Amino acid sequence: MAQTSPPKWPNRFLEWYCNPALLEEIQGDAYEMYFRTRKMHSRTLANLQFTWNVLRFFRWSNIKRSRTSSPSSLMMLHNYFSVFKRGFIKQKGYSFLNIFGLGIGIACFILISLYIRDEYSFDRMHSKADRIYRIHEIFESDGIGERSASQPFPVGEALLNDYGAQIEQAVRFYNFQAPTLAVATIDDKNKKEFNETRLFFTEPSFFDVFDFPLVKGNRNTALDDTHTMVLTESAARKYFGDEDPVGKYLKFQGNTNLLITGVLKDIPPNTHFQFDFLVSFETLKSFYEGHLPQSWYWNPCWTYLLLKDPGSVHTLHAAMPAFVQKYFPDMVRNDVTMEFMALPDIHLHSHMDYEIQPNSRESTIYIFGSIAVFVLLIACINFINLSTARAAKRAKEVGMRKTLGSPRGQLVTQFLMESILLCLLGAMFAVVLVVIALPFFNAFAEKAIPTHTLLESFYLALFLGLPLGVGILAGLYPAVVLSSFLPITALKANVSREKGAIFRKALVTLQFTLSIMLLIGTGVAIDQLNMLQKSDTGFARENVIMVPVMLTPVAEKYEALRTEFRRNANVISVTAMEEILGSKHQVGNFIFEGMPESKPFPRMNVRHDFLKTFDIPIVAGRDYSEEVGTDDTLSLLVNETLVKQMGWGSNEAAVGKKFGTRPNRTIIGVVKDFNFASRHQSIRPLVMDLNLNSKAFEIFMKYMAVRITGNDVPGTIASLEQQWKAQIPGWPFEYFFLDNNLEKLYHAESKMSTITLIFSGLSMLVACLGLFGLSTFTAEQRKKEMSIRKVMGSSNTQIFLLFSKRFFSLILLANVLAFPLAWFLLKQWLAGFAYQVNIDFSLFVLAGGAAAAIAFVTIGYQAWRAAHSNPAEVLKNE
Amino acid sequence: MKGTYIGELEELILLTVGILYKQAYGVAVMDEIERQTGRSLNISAVHAVLKRLEEKGLVTSQMSDPTQERGGRRKRIFFLTATGKRELEEANALRNQLFNQIPKVALQFKLA
Repeated sequence: MAQTSPPKWPNRFLEWYCNPALLEEIQGDAYEMYFRTRKMHSRTLANLQFTWNVLRFFRWSNIKRSRTSSPSSLMMLHNYFSVFKRGFIKQKGYSFLNIFGLGIGIACFILISLYIRDEYSFDRMHSKADRIYRIHEIFESDGIGERSASQPFPVGEALLNDYGAQIEQAVRFYNFQAPTLAVATIDDKNKKEFNETRLFFTEPSFFDVFDFPLVKGNRNTALDDTHTMVLTESAARKYFGDEDPVGKYLKFQGNTNLLITGVLKDIPPNTHFQFDFLVSFETLKSFYEGHLPQSWYWNPCWTYLLLKDPGSVHTLHAAMPAFVQKYFPDMVRNDVTMEFMALPDIHLHSHMDYEIQPNSRESTIYIFGSIAVFVLLIACINFINLSTARAAKRAKEVGMRKTLGSPRGQLVTQFLMESILLCLLGAMFAVVLVVIALPFFNAFAEKAIPTHTLLESFYLALFLGLPLGVGILAGLYPAVVLSSFLPITALKANVSREKGAIFRKALVTLQFTLSIMLLIGTGVAIDQLNMLQKSDTGFARENVIMVPVMLTPVAEKYEALRTEFRRNANVISVTAMEEILGSKHQVGNFIFEGMPESKPFPRMNVRHDFLKTFDIPIVAGRDYSEEVGTDDTLSLLVNETLVKQMGWGSNEAAVGKKFGTRPNRTIIGVVKDFNFASRHQSIRPLVMDLNLNSKAFEIFMKYMAVRITGNDVPGTIASLEQQWKAQIPGWPFEYFFLDNNLEKLYHAESKMSTITLIFSGLSMLVACLGLFGLSTFTAEQRKKEMSIRKVMGSSNTQIFLLFSKRFFSLILLANVLAFPLAWFLLKQWLAGFAYQVNIDFSLFVLAGGAAAAIAFVTIGYQAWRAAHSNPAEVLKNE
Repeated sequence: MKGTYIGELEELILLTVGILYKQAYGVAVMDEIERQTGRSLNISAVHAVLKRLEEKGLVTSQMSDPTQERGGRRKRIFFLTATGKRELEEANALRNQLFNQIPKVALQFKLA
């Protein structure tokens, strides 16, 4: 007879539906008829007949009905649950380790996901968010210049006029580029005055473009008239208490009364810029002789466009070169390019020179995201390891269940259910942890995520989905391994002891690899941060008091004030300058000898004693001198990088080089390079321009800087304040220390390293919990082996070493894996910095050593117990 | 209860099980009925009836040794039980009793 069998699919169908008890006879008869027909007739007929018979056999009495034939599934569930409960209570330590570890893992994951979700929610609350773009001005020549988030005054209007087909509205924001602006109530009794940082001038179109709701006042008219303003509810409370502010006045900069026409709801924390006061743009005209500034060079206005169709941004972008050529002045025309940034992208993607407020980086989100996944992964691995390790213990149960007729599917269900239940408990614990930890997390992550965010459907789904997912993932392996035991071997003692040991070892290694990588990463991040913050920037920043003076009466009183300040024995030097040194600078166009046309250069307007105040050495030529009256107009100081870039050979050769168009203007000195901007960038060329014009305090002179000796700081400050009050009555004296301010430059890095530190610590903790559980388990398993070794003459030390060895070899392997991986990833991360800390290899050793030490403490106790147990006690039970 | 009455097909199959003593399984029963009566039954119908007879306690069954022609599968061989035998006898007796009561004249067709 030919080796042929009935058609495959009908046969499979039969095997699938048929009650196993009846399968043999039914299939047997079907086969018999098949072979008979095949022999006597054709194969096709046999096939047809077989299929027909299979279909005819498909009747109620032949179909398997395991659900009704097995004991009620509800009863089984009940049984699983009580077995789970008993096991849970019996092995408290194990249950605790599992739930605690998993809880921490899930809690970390949720906290970080809250953070990431918040980061991605920025500026998306506006109904037109997808059509709003900010336009950036990139003003660079050969990579030197500025990448500005703001635009010249006329740009918004000109764009709206020229491209009305694409642009529906434009709105500008302006704040005099002032660090603070003074606001005060108008009545003198009960007077409240503050220097405000969150005040902007803006156009009525603000309300058309953005959705920020007005609680009081009319959106359509609130900012129409000159000398009107709206303010937020909390700002209103600050100045007026519970009174209705609408119709009242606030005094701006001590000389201008502004009528309050509306109250805004407080600005949500997830917007890329925050404000408390919005003043009508019309008001600005009174500061600039009746019209808005017309300069196409000075770019102080953040400009937002509402497009009619978000797709037209490409058309607009393509039209920008022509726009620049049409309007921008000759000297910058070829160096300016325009860039559009979608509103929701600003918070994570915009890193321009004059951001309204610092933004976040998407790379930080990726780092946090990986940490979240790592911690969760480590927690899941714990779970898997502990469950599979325990499998041997439950082998007898499995054997018994199988003997009593439990099918494999039922066992898998049982173990999956146990693991899901355990995960649900872990998730519940995680919820408690998150609720407790959220206020602290908000504090150090600088978020205001309310607890009720957890009730959003996303998180409810997460709380259910995560335990289900983790439960199935973590439970699947143990379930499959356990249910595959043969009853006969499972019931025999000492079998399947090493089942999955290699798998567990691999997982432990993976856990420690991840933990060690996190530790190393945290170490390098902290190193990098310290390097950025602490290393020498080339100028004195300790004991430097900065006083914001822009748009204050200091303009008239500067010299008198300076003289008074310098009378104090603790004051070393006093100067004034354009921006906070080491943090920010402006850009100006300069033309030096040998250049065909002017180019943008970083610039700092300064007063006398600038170099002395900041202790910046001069390397060639001389400093500005109060004796030389023409220094203001005819002289410039530059830095070494500028000299190098111009190719003048030596610093000495640079002195006397001409600038500008008139012949007698020269460079008088070259100063040693210093980091005039944050160390995210390398040092670029810099021009320091003496500006003695008292009008300069309206725009070019933003701060006075006073360097003091550091003896009796409070006394010195008190005396400075006294002098200030005497010279400039009715104006609050505000100050800050330069070094404190500069720390903010690396705020993002510092926040990131705090968060990484905390979470990598937690990941280590979770990994150790797992290791502890595993070593406890191994200790118990090898109890007899160790006792027999002792009886045979092993010393305590030998047993201790034998026991610890296998764990240490794993940790060693984890180190070997983690080092190159961490090194590679950190190189990538550091590549984003202009100043990179050298990756310190001792840090690797330290992290690896720390992991080993923690692991040693974790398993040491078990190893010690194993070594010191009394063999007689252990072996007597045999 | 099902056991009180057996149908025509059931009786036929029960008889065949008796005829095929020790050889009565699905396909054999089906073949024997076809051979003796010319009735062509589907194998699944035979199975269903055999199962019903077993539930009524008229037949019992046990698995045979594996055979080559069925791909090594065993057959379920059916036997008459004592109840099955009595049921057949009763049916037979009833039939005879009824037949015998038919007046002779009613059967004499030749003379009519």
